[in-house]
Amino acid sequence: MDGIHDLGGMHGFGAVVTPGGEAPYHQPWEPRVFALHVLTGLERLGAGPGGRATREQMDPASYLEASYYERWLWSAEQGLLRKGTIAPGEVEAMMERLAAGEPEPRRSDPDQAARAVARLREVVPLQPAERTRFASGQRVRVRRMRPAGHTRCPRYVRGAVGVVEHVRGADPLPDLATYGEDAPPEPVYAVAFRSDELWGPGEEPTWTVMLDLWESYLEEAV
Amino acid sequence: MSDDPDHGHHHPRPDSEVALRARALEALLVSKGLVSTDAVDAIIELYERDVGPKNGARVVARAWTDPAYRERLLADGTKAIAELGFGGAEADDLVAVANTATVHNVVVCTLCSCYPWAVLGLPPVWYKSLPYRARMVAEPRAVLRELGLELPDEVEVRVWDSSAEVRYLVVPMRPAGTDGLSEDALAALVTRDCMIGTGVPPTPGPAT
Repeated sequence: MDGIHDLGGMHGFGAVVTPGGEAPYHQPWEPRVFALHVLTGLERLGAGPGGRATREQMDPASYLEASYYERWLWSAEQGLLRKGTIAPGEVEAMMERLAAGEPEPRRSDPDQAARAVARLREVVPLQPAERTRFASGQRVRVRRMRPAGHTRCPRYVRGAVGVVEHVRGADPLPDLATYGEDAPPEPVYAVAFRSDELWGPGEEPTWTVMLDLWESYLEEAV
Repeated sequence: MSDDPDHGHHHPRPDSEVALRARALEALLVSKGLVSTDAVDAIIELYERDVGPKNGARVVARAWTDPAYRERLLADGTKAIAELGFGGAEADDLVAVANTATVHNVVVCTLCSCYPWAVLGLPPVWYKSLPYRARMVAEPRAVLRELGLELPDEVEVRVWDSSAEVRYLVVPMRPAGTDGLSEDALAALVTRDCMIGTGVPPTPGPAT
């Protein structure tokens, strides 16, 4: 979807370097939310599109205001609510109990811990691409589109012409697969774009932007 | 998206309230018997202790010292890191891109925060920040300068927007004056930022 998460090229966000920016986390609760989110995925406790597609549905003002792992907390809750693993109001009720001084419950399950770590060490590569419409060295244009759902085709590249450099493999189109819709694996191409094609002339010497794009996003450049 | 306005929209909250909400969600899932505290701890520990930029640094140091390994790494990153015992989530399809005297590579994810966990661990806050995601594809030299890296004009900057399933590892150039160094000593020069492409390894000073 053409949401606030699609940030490439936007102005106004200020400096990249900020105090505390070197660490992966700011607060002790953040790694726990990270791990909890990963675990709800591995244990299939949530339903609907995954965390990433869910976070894209946050309303734009909240997305911008929330910290990174606050967004993850939100998407974890949405998935759990959709599956019925938790009911509306249950998190708030638990917040009240904890705030009143009730100790946090603890539970040990070494099998679950071992299963999670094993899954995180698993490698599931892309399938090889069989029938490719485009070849390395070929010029392609990114289709104009305005998808309402999840997509991996950023706005800034739509309509631009680039050159295919590699065929990465075959993968179901995330625009469909994210929602459990039937999507046969299709080729994914690494496409090179010149900066002036994307942004027009600028102050910096010309650079190259590389993007991996599914075949459905591309058409022949004439 | 939920139709319930309480879930579709929320307002900025003090961190203490978010922290309480995070604790409550974990407590709720633990009390339902669905999640174990030690599984949460194990995932945190995995990325704090076992999986981090030290893994990537070993890969780069091996590529610097073993030309055949470097070739294998550039041909199939996933297989090459597996030779050193690395691999897993967010590196199922790892592509290593090598810096040269004429090309400098740098990685971003404009749509999200994709990052090669298995070789670099979890990304720093700035990598996930709105300005980095917004600016790196559109003014890479300005962003690199902010992060302390000034590149000659004649070097081509290649920005990899890792918005699909491939994850990227930048292989920096081996600094001059490191001929006699062991693989371990070389790995110590390879910082996380060198492998994102926002830094380059330091050239060791003359021995004192």
